[in-house]
Amino acid sequence: MAGIKIKYTKTERARQKKILKVSERMLPLFEAMEKSLMATINTIAERIEQIREEIEKNRLAAEPWTAVMSDSWINIGEFISVNKIITKTVDVAGVRVQQYVNVDFNVMPIHEDTPLWVDDAIELMQEQLQLLAEIDCLKEQINLLEEELLDVRARVKLFENRRIPNAKLAIRKIGQKLQDDERLTIATAKVVKTSKQKEGKL
Amino acid sequence: MVYLMTSLPSLSFDQVPPITIDEFNDEAKSQLSARHFRLLESVDIQQLNTEVGKKSIASFLQTIKEDLAEVRKAKVQNRQAQPVRLPKSALVGNPLEREIKILQWQWQELLDMEAGKTFTLTEVLVYKLKLQIVSRLHSFNQKEGAKVLASMVNPAKNKEDN
Repeated sequence: MAGIKIKYTKTERARQKKILKVSERMLPLFEAMEKSLMATINTIAERIEQIREEIEKNRLAAEPWTAVMSDSWINIGEFISVNKIITKTVDVAGVRVQQYVNVDFNVMPIHEDTPLWVDDAIELMQEQLQLLAEIDCLKEQINLLEEELLDVRARVKLFENRRIPNAKLAIRKIGQKLQDDERLTIATAKVVKTSKQKEGKL
Repeated sequence: MVYLMTSLPSLSFDQVPPITIDEFNDEAKSQLSARHFRLLESVDIQQLNTEVGKKSIASFLQTIKEDLAEVRKAKVQNRQAQPVRLPKSALVGNPLEREIKILQWQWQELLDMEAGKTFTLTEVLVYKLKLQIVSRLHSFNQKEGAKVLASMVNPAKNKEDN
């Protein structure tokens, strides 16, 4: 409020009352938005954790046979690579984000002379790469939601610490000033009336 | 042929290859005639090249090819594979166990093929195939395999770890 000049008028008091009314109506909305964003971020973080556990489960399941992947006859990297991660735009807690759909792989055709383990390795890698791609999308969603959360928190603070207290203070000060003015006017009128009455008696 | 075979170290399944394929090729090149060496070069269990001048070996490599194709076809059709010579027991277990069992079966087939063919071209050709098998088997390594998997599924993380 410091440094802000208040116009001590009834119009200004009406304006400040309007600001207060709007701010008090908006604050719960922003608070609800903040809670919703926090809950959504937590849900996404939990999903990331679930996917990580799934990746680890797959890795442990494959551990007994990963030795075959160092096969001197095969470079498994030549058989599979990610072409594109396919996503779609969705609205999450009021924020537009990219949701994971699937991964488009480049899989080289398997020839007759290719060892059988290559088929299993390709399946495993596809599974792991899909899960990792989903994690990347979810992390990106969290980044966007956290940006929005910061913005919403700033608004909540603005309403809680600035707009509402300032409007209340302005309304109170204008009220006091107007009341003082009214008293002064009445007092002046009374003094004038009394002096006129005295003049008349004389 | 006799000199070549006596100069080569003996091979056994599960052992560290006593010589490399390149060393074997160098030795064979110096000992064999150009025609025999060309034949030796064409024999390859990795490529499963069936255009080989030795009928028994060509037939063996062709069988491997057909049996692998049958296993893949059966998987797609969701039925039990019916390989011609590959034992069904070799298709049980995890991918590493299966691959080792297939190599063991190939090794056994090669032993049968060279029986009674001492100091012949067949023995030299079989030696190369057996050397390819032990070299491949020796390349299976848990730590290296895990590295390959990690580099494939999480190259960024792998780079960070390094």
